[in-house]
Amino acid sequence: MIVQDVRKLEEKSIFIIREAKMKFKNIAALWSMGKDSTAMLAVARKAFLGKVPFPVVHIDNGIDFPETYEFRKRLAEKWNLDLILGKTKIKHVSWGLACCGETKTIALKEVMKEYKFDALMMAIRRDEHWIRAKERVFSPRNENFRWDYKNQPAELWDDYSSKLDAKGHIRVHPMLDWNEVDIWSYVQKEHIPVVPLYYSRNGYRYRSLGCTHCTVALKSNAKNIDDIIKELEGTETDERSGRSQDKEKEYVMQKLRALGYM
Amino acid sequence: MMVKKITLLGHKDHGKSTLIGNMLILTNRVNPAKLKEAERTSEQLGKRFEPGFILDSFHEEREGGLTIDTTRTEKIPHKDIAFEFIDVPGHEELIKNMMSGASQADIAVLIVSAKADEGIRDQTKRHLFIAKMLGIRKLVVAVNKMDLVAYKEEKFDAIKKHMAKFIENMGFTRGNVYFVPISAYMKDNLVKKSSNMKWYSGRPLIDLLYMNAKEEYTKKANAELRVLLQGFIDHTGTVMAGKIVSGKMRLGDKVRIWPSGFGSSISRIFVKGANVKAAKLGTNVAVALRDKFNSDVRGSVMADDENSPKLRKVVKALIFVTRPTLANMKIKFNNIEIGCNSLKVLKHIDTTTGERKEGNRLKALDAIEADIELERKLPFESYERTEELGRFLLYSRGEFAGIGIVE
Repeated sequence: MIVQDVRKLEEKSIFIIREAKMKFKNIAALWSMGKDSTAMLAVARKAFLGKVPFPVVHIDNGIDFPETYEFRKRLAEKWNLDLILGKTKIKHVSWGLACCGETKTIALKEVMKEYKFDALMMAIRRDEHWIRAKERVFSPRNENFRWDYKNQPAELWDDYSSKLDAKGHIRVHPMLDWNEVDIWSYVQKEHIPVVPLYYSRNGYRYRSLGCTHCTVALKSNAKNIDDIIKELEGTETDERSGRSQDKEKEYVMQKLRALGYM
Repeated sequence: MMVKKITLLGHKDHGKSTLIGNMLILTNRVNPAKLKEAERTSEQLGKRFEPGFILDSFHEEREGGLTIDTTRTEKIPHKDIAFEFIDVPGHEELIKNMMSGASQADIAVLIVSAKADEGIRDQTKRHLFIAKMLGIRKLVVAVNKMDLVAYKEEKFDAIKKHMAKFIENMGFTRGNVYFVPISAYMKDNLVKKSSNMKWYSGRPLIDLLYMNAKEEYTKKANAELRVLLQGFIDHTGTVMAGKIVSGKMRLGDKVRIWPSGFGSSISRIFVKGANVKAAKLGTNVAVALRDKFNSDVRGSVMADDENSPKLRKVVKALIFVTRPTLANMKIKFNNIEIGCNSLKVLKHIDTTTGERKEGNRLKALDAIEADIELERKLPFESYERTEELGRFLLYSRGEFAGIGIVE
């Protein structure tokens, strides 16, 4: 993996985040407390004189790791975040598509409806999954959260167009150009706090953080960011290989995204 | 590491996705699981192994064997820089997706199939015309499928001769254009010189991309200040956010905001949250002025006081049209929408020949030279002078309808 010029990536993300905040009446950011969405909030703070200028939404299954909840509490206080919690009604055996596709999306729909958000900022990256490589920076969803991937709007130069369906919303993706290793490089340079589960304990670490039902740790001795970057440079497995929901079927991610999954 | 983005251009089925797929395979950028999946999918669909399957991800794209929307690839390191490929669809009806992808590129690879029944097509030339309008200056023409014409030099020469003339007419600089005979499927001349074409004295594709990438295009760092303003970012309406697209700024500089014409001087500059004395080209800044500006700044342009852009209500532009009608036309300039009162077609330009003709008929996928009268004055500049202030998007009835550049 190649580390890109993170200052250049940061500039572009600042432009996009400002553009989104100016353009939409009522925007919120999704925060999973993972490294990507936390880095996105760090960029937003730089764009807006030290303060995240919109509400931050966590869709909470109630089954995240205790360390993640602890991190949420600590950073929300430190960065003075306007935190909104969307609670899901988790079924007894929830796993994979049923869990992420249904319960989380339903909870997100409820939050969007209650607060009347017209745009939702998310930290997805192109290198996470093939389907995400096809995304626009400003990506419309209709009333039912559907993604019309076969007819995406034109998006030229640094003009972020949006065909705003009156009842739908726009997904804003300021981190699309970043790669996994760029995020780590930025976290390191900017001293951005991350959940400690990313670092190796007893020979294992989490490379991608989901909820406790679906996320598995990988064998790793990476105890700090330098180790992680070194590890990523030599890796051949995908970042989300520890996230079982992606693996169920070849096109499950396409299905999930078309249905409004984050 | 510096990353250069490369878009593939050319007619459908001339091998854009195949070329990218094999470039990734040859440079070991594909992990074994991904490769296996592409092999499995080819098999399931009853096709020979298709390297393009490493890229195309929509279910429909694999079944139909076409690229629907643009995608990006894993970066390929080469010496001190890295390449990122942007794959775009070649089908006419998907031109807005092609334009979306290509507008992000630094370099274009134009694919022309050497196969007898394929060759130089209208779409081949149209893509080139669009690339030039999008601001792409660097080009490699890859004459593909040489394996299907017995690697014959005459086939390559004929296409090269024809295209070289057209490319020059389009306004590309000769030093930024290269030609290479390849077989994307057989991997000839992609990263290594092919022994099948000993008559070719040039370098393989990857080296040509590198040579083209290394030639830096220097942008107006010393030109007069131009800042695209996005809006106020504080509650009191004193700090405005914007991006410097020309020149640089320092505390105390005298500036004007257009189209209003309001003049003041810079009293505070913030870059990434920090208070600074100056900011350079390409920076996203937050700026406060000595005097209070009382209207909205979204979509306005901050410029050097002495040398400002001229306000124009009627703008003469070269326009590429993607729809057959421009009814209820609006333009998007600097991320805001502005209505148009009228459009007068002056000349008709055939994008497949570059020829200028009389006539005022509008046709999709053609270009026109036109006078557009806007609902209000805007601070345009020539595309040549400041790209960001010399280009716009066209919308008709809310749908994307083309692009324009100001001459």
